[in-house]
Amino acid sequence: MAIEEEQSILFAERPEWADVTPLAQYENINPVAPIFYTNEYKDAADYFRGIVNAGEMSPRVLELTEKIIRMNPAHYSAWQYRYKTLMALKSPLDVELHLMDEIAVKYLKTYQVWHHRRLIVTQTRNPGPELAFIAKSLQADTKNYHTWSYRQWILAYFNDDELWDAELPFVEEMLENDLRNNSAWHHRFFVVFQAGVRKGDEDRDEVIRRELGFVKQSISVAPNNASAWNYLRGILDHNGTPYSDLQTFVNPYSVPHTLEETAEGVVDLENPLPSKESHLPAVAAIEFMADIYEKEGGDSLMKATELWKSLANEHDTIRKKYWEYRIREACQKVTT
Amino acid sequence: MSELLQLPPLTRIGHGTHGKRCLTGLPATQVDVDPSKLALVFYCLGTLDVLDQLDKTRIDEKERWREWIWDQQASGPYGTGFKPSSYMTPEKQSTDAEYSDDNTPAIIVTYTALLSLAILRDDFARLDRPGLLKFLRACQKDDGSFSSEPLGGDSDLRMVYCAFAISSMLDDWSGMDVDRALEFIASCRSYEGGYGQTPFGEAIGGTTYCALASIHLAGKGSSLSAAERQKTIRWLVQNQQEPSGGFRGRTSKDPDACYCFWCGASLSILGDGDLVNESALASFLGSCQFKFGGIAKAPGEHPDPYHTYLSLAALALHPPGEGTQGTSTSWKLHPLDPLLNAKRETANWARLYIPGHKS
Ligand SMILES: [Zn+2]
Repeated sequence: MAIEEEQSILFAERPEWADVTPLAQYENINPVAPIFYTNEYKDAADYFRGIVNAGEMSPRVLELTEKIIRMNPAHYSAWQYRYKTLMALKSPLDVELHLMDEIAVKYLKTYQVWHHRRLIVTQTRNPGPELAFIAKSLQADTKNYHTWSYRQWILAYFNDDELWDAELPFVEEMLENDLRNNSAWHHRFFVVFQAGVRKGDEDRDEVIRRELGFVKQSISVAPNNASAWNYLRGILDHNGTPYSDLQTFVNPYSVPHTLEETAEGVVDLENPLPSKESHLPAVAAIEFMADIYEKEGGDSLMKATELWKSLANEHDTIRKKYWEYRIREACQKVTT
Repeated sequence: MSELLQLPPLTRIGHGTHGKRCLTGLPATQVDVDPSKLALVFYCLGTLDVLDQLDKTRIDEKERWREWIWDQQASGPYGTGFKPSSYMTPEKQSTDAEYSDDNTPAIIVTYTALLSLAILRDDFARLDRPGLLKFLRACQKDDGSFSSEPLGGDSDLRMVYCAFAISSMLDDWSGMDVDRALEFIASCRSYEGGYGQTPFGEAIGGTTYCALASIHLAGKGSSLSAAERQKTIRWLVQNQQEPSGGFRGRTSKDPDACYCFWCGASLSILGDGDLVNESALASFLGSCQFKFGGIAKAPGEHPDPYHTYLSLAALALHPPGEGTQGTSTSWKLHPLDPLLNAKRETANWARLYIPGHKS
C-alpha cells in the first residue's frame, strides 16, 4: 500500500528530487501529431530530460527510467540511458535481469525490451538461464518473432555445446503442442542445418534420414500443413536431394483417399500414409508431384501441366495466375 | 454465370480524415509513438498523397508540416539525420545546437522524413547532404548491417533498407559499403525463400520486402539465381490466403493488411506483381475498413495510420481489375513506386530534388 502511494506521487512533489531541474519538452510553435500526455507521464519525462541534461547516473535514475519504461516501453532513450547508468554504477545485473523477466513478458512485442536484454546478457555472459526464460515467455505467445530471434541469438552468439543439447527436444515439444507453428519448424531447420554439426550428428546422411522421417510423420498427421511441406523442401534443397526420391511418399497425398490406404496390410514405416480424417488431395502434394514431373521433362511435362491445371481450376483457385505462370515458364524452358 | 466478387466502396474521405486526425493530435495511450513519430507522419502524409487529398489541404497547413519535419533535422558528431520527434529535446534549447549522445537522429525516420518532404514537394535546399552521408557511415556495422542510431540500437534488415533507399534518393552510394550490406542481406535468407529480420531468422514479409527492394535499388537484381528467385516467388504467392484473400507475413499465420503491401510489393519488385490475386486482395482490404475511417490490420480491429497507408499502397500496386463488381472509380489510385514505397510522382520528385546540384 505504502509503495503504491509513493509511486503515484509526482516527482515534482517529492523532496528527494527537489535538487533536479525538470526540463519541459521542446515543441515548436505548431507541433505535428502532438501527444496529449498524462500528467504522470509528463512529470516523469520532464525529470528524465533534466537528469540526462545534468548527466547524472545514480541509483535514482534506475527508478526513474523504470517508471518511464512501464508507461512507455518503446521509449528508446530511457532504455539507452538506463543501460549506461547500470554500467556506470556497476549494478548487479542479475537483479536487472530479474526485473526484465517480468517486463519482457508484459511487453513481448517491444523491440527495446529484447535489445536491452541482449546488452545485459552480453555483459553477464551467462546464457544458461536464458533458454528456460525464453521457453516460459513462448508459452505466453508461441510465435513471437522477437522471442524466437532472441533464442537463435543466444545459441549462435554463445555457441556452447551445453546450450545446444536440449534444442531438438524443445522444438519437438513446441511442435507437439502446435504442428503448424512455423517458428518452431524454422528453429528446427536452424538447429539441424544452419548452426554447425553437433555432437552425435556427425553422420549427415543419418541426420537427413532422421529429419525426413520426422517431417513425413508430421505430414501424415496433417497433410495440409504448409509449414511441414516447406520444411521438407528445405531439407531437400539444402542437401541437394532430388524431389523424386520422395515420390513414393508424396503420391498418396496428391490424390483422393484410396481403398488401399485403409486396407490392413504391410505398413511401410518409411512412407506413412495420410490419416483417414485428413482432407485430400493436399495442394502441397499436387504441387510437389508437378515439380517432380517438371524436372523429369519430356513426356512427364504433360503430367506436370495437368496437375498445375487442376490446381489453377479446382484445388487452389486463388493462385490461378501463379499456376498458369508455372505452365508458361515450363513450356518456355522447353522451347528455348 | 461466373461469380463476380462484390466490393464495398473504398471510403477515401474517411481514410484521409483518419490520417489528418492523427496529424492533429494523439491520445495519451499512443505515447509509444514518440520515438518513431516521423514514421507515423509519413504514413499519414502518404495516405493523403495516394488518395490525392493534398491539393485540397490548406497551404499554410502543409507549410506547418514541412517546418516541423525540418525542425527534426539535426547535426552532430555522427553526421546529420532526422530525429523521430522532439521527445528528448528540452525546451529553450536552440534547435541549431549540435545533438547530444542521448538525442541522436535515427535512420528509419530519416528515410521517412525525406519521403514526407517529397510528398510536400519541398525543394530540399535545407538538406545537409555531406552530413547525411557521414551519418550513414556512422550507422553501418562491421557485418554490413546498419544500427537504428549511430550509438547503437537494433540492427536488422529494416535499417539496411533505409540506408539503401537514402543512398538511392541521394544518388550517392559513398555513405555505405554496398557489398558488405549485400552480404548481410544474403545471410538473412531463409530456406523458405523469404528473408528473416536478422541472420538465422524466420522468413517474414516485411523484411523480405526490405531485402528485395535493397538488392534492386542497388541494381543487383541479377545476383539472385533463377532457382532462388523462383523459390521466393513461390513463398510470396503462398502467403495469399483463402478464403480471406489477404496476405499473411509468415507461413501458417493469419492474414494482415500490411502484408498485402510487403508481399505484393515484393512480387512487383521481382517483376511478377501480376501473380497477386487482386480482386481477392481488394475484397480483404475492403473488409478491413473501419466504419469511421482508416484501415485496420484485420476485419473488426481498430485502424491505424500504418495499416491504412500500406493497404492503400497495396491497392495502388494491385488495383482490382475486370471481373470485380463495384470497382467504381473509388478504387482507382495513382501508380506507386514499389522500391521507395511512395506514389510514383512523389518518388520522381525525390529523385529529382534530393541529389541537389552536384558540383
Ligand atoms: Zn500488420
